[in-house]
Amino acid sequence: MPIDSLKFIVWLSALLVALFLVLSPLYLLIKYALSDSSSINTGGSPIPLWPYHITTRTFLYLFSDRQFYSVIINSIVIALGTVSLSMILGVPAAYVLARYRLPGRKLIILGLISVRLFPDIASIIPIAEFFIRLNLQNTYTGVILAHTLLALPYVIFIGMSAFESIPNDLEQQATVMGANGFQIFFSILLPLAIPGLAAAALYTFLLSWDEFIFSYFLLGLGKISTLTLYLKQKLSYSPPQNLLATISVCLSVPVIVFSLLLQKYMTAGITSGSVK
Amino acid sequence: MADVVVKGISKYFGDHQVISTLDLEVKSGEFVTLLGPSGCGKTTLLRMIAGLEKIDKGDLYIGGRRYNDIPAQRRHVAMVFQSYALFPHMSVYDNIRFGLKIRKAGKEEIKRKCAWALSLLNLDGIESRLPREISGGQRQRVALARALVLDPEVLLLDEPLSNLDTTLRDKAMEELKRIHRQVGKTILYVSHNQVEAMTMSDRIALLNAGRLEQYDTPRTVYDEPRTLFSASFIGSPAMNIFEGQIEHEDDVMGVSTPIGFFVFDKEAALRTQAMAGSAVTVGIRPQNIARADHYAARRYSDTMVTLNVELVQSLGDRSLVVGRGENDTVIRFLVTREDDIGPGQRLPVFIDGRKIHLFDPLRRTNLFSK
Repeated sequence: MPIDSLKFIVWLSALLVALFLVLSPLYLLIKYALSDSSSINTGGSPIPLWPYHITTRTFLYLFSDRQFYSVIINSIVIALGTVSLSMILGVPAAYVLARYRLPGRKLIILGLISVRLFPDIASIIPIAEFFIRLNLQNTYTGVILAHTLLALPYVIFIGMSAFESIPNDLEQQATVMGANGFQIFFSILLPLAIPGLAAAALYTFLLSWDEFIFSYFLLGLGKISTLTLYLKQKLSYSPPQNLLATISVCLSVPVIVFSLLLQKYMTAGITSGSVK
Repeated sequence: MADVVVKGISKYFGDHQVISTLDLEVKSGEFVTLLGPSGCGKTTLLRMIAGLEKIDKGDLYIGGRRYNDIPAQRRHVAMVFQSYALFPHMSVYDNIRFGLKIRKAGKEEIKRKCAWALSLLNLDGIESRLPREISGGQRQRVALARALVLDPEVLLLDEPLSNLDTTLRDKAMEELKRIHRQVGKTILYVSHNQVEAMTMSDRIALLNAGRLEQYDTPRTVYDEPRTLFSASFIGSPAMNIFEGQIEHEDDVMGVSTPIGFFVFDKEAALRTQAMAGSAVTVGIRPQNIARADHYAARRYSDTMVTLNVELVQSLGDRSLVVGRGENDTVIRFLVTREDDIGPGQRLPVFIDGRKIHLFDPLRRTNLFSK
């Protein structure tokens, strides 16, 4: 057998294994969400591989739960708050770090990512304690601030590379034409950085949307609940797996949709034609 | 329109001095090319005039006003970058309009000036295209339109033609000259290309290692190079350079070199009277060397030199011949393409002694310039 087709078969099998590993939990999740209880609690006989008795009952049940709507709205509010705050803080920081040779630039960057150097479960203890002292537990502000802490390093890093990809000549050209710093930032740099910044914003939204540990410690199972906390809450009552699977599907849909959008935004070549 | 005066300007990048006490005066409406090899400081000088680089020492005057401390935004200069630096997210029209909008020009004024610039540079019809949708030549013209529309006192151009292919470049040169005649702006043009400098400039400022080597009209720079650098940088193919010694021979003043003795004309003889015996560097342009058999008679000033042809390179209508004379002296000269010359041939040539340039071998300056 020629080497090339042997290579092809090896690659193909590796690809199929990887695909199986990635897709099978997803398949099970969807299968569970669509199955009725009797096809999951089979009383000892093996659970069938294919969904039978396909039903949307769990979805209908979920959609009739008023708490479900309130947690979705909470999750959206917190995610949008996190996006706004991280962008307002992160974009100017990214610009400054990308464009100016600040003394201690590397140290600043290290400081910014330090939160992410520790496992979330380790860093949340001091953060939660600190937030509680500031009376930020069980508040939107608190959880938005906490999520911003997590998102900011990503926003700054993605933002930095977005600004760095804009040729310096454009700024200098605008300067010679009489534009001041603000005019240059808003009419030249920001429009050109938009694709990168949009990606950062989407990423931040998703990060907040499916964040669990920080939300759990700051909100507990109190008044304000998010979708991830709702899932945890249902989990503690040992409910039917098909309900859990349904909640998980609802949690995943925006992630999948936004990830696809993100890919579209990651288009290269927006600055082509400006220099050379 | 304004004149530009550079007085004793120096510039350092760290410990490295890129420009050392440079003086330059550009008259109002003049087209001056800053010419030199890469790293000679020409772009740095241009950027200092634009306000993009700090002036470390010396003074800059534009229109009689000291400009050192005026920020780039408030200088009445426009600059075209080598990269053109068109704003990629703006249409051609928005690019051209940008500076006027920043300067808060009225709607009518913007419309009038943009229309003027578009037609001056033949850009009508592509106003709404994005920079990535137009050709290299068009981008170069948009960059120029964007600068001219601001009606600057001085127009700074940083190698604007270096990204164009040869045919486009020739066209762009003609166009740039036409525009200069039409708008009469003071233009400072940076280039490393001597053809661009020769064709377009009123005067050439030749820079080398941060110093001004020569500042003259293209003709003077070509005919009377002040330094050995000028002599070897300007002119194509490059000047032949070899060593020699000023001598009296049979009552005739001249220079003796490894390839022969060249007779001075009256003036050169007079000026070198006291220098007999001193070493000199000799330069002769390939254009001043001709095949001996093409002359009906040898002139008094001609010296016949026999060369071994090593290489013949076609330049189209002419060919460049690389020959080797006595003592391994390499001599380049031109022949017409009808001349049937090939490597290995022995070829007698006439070198006109009146056309040779003499340089001080130590100071590397022209012996005859002040």
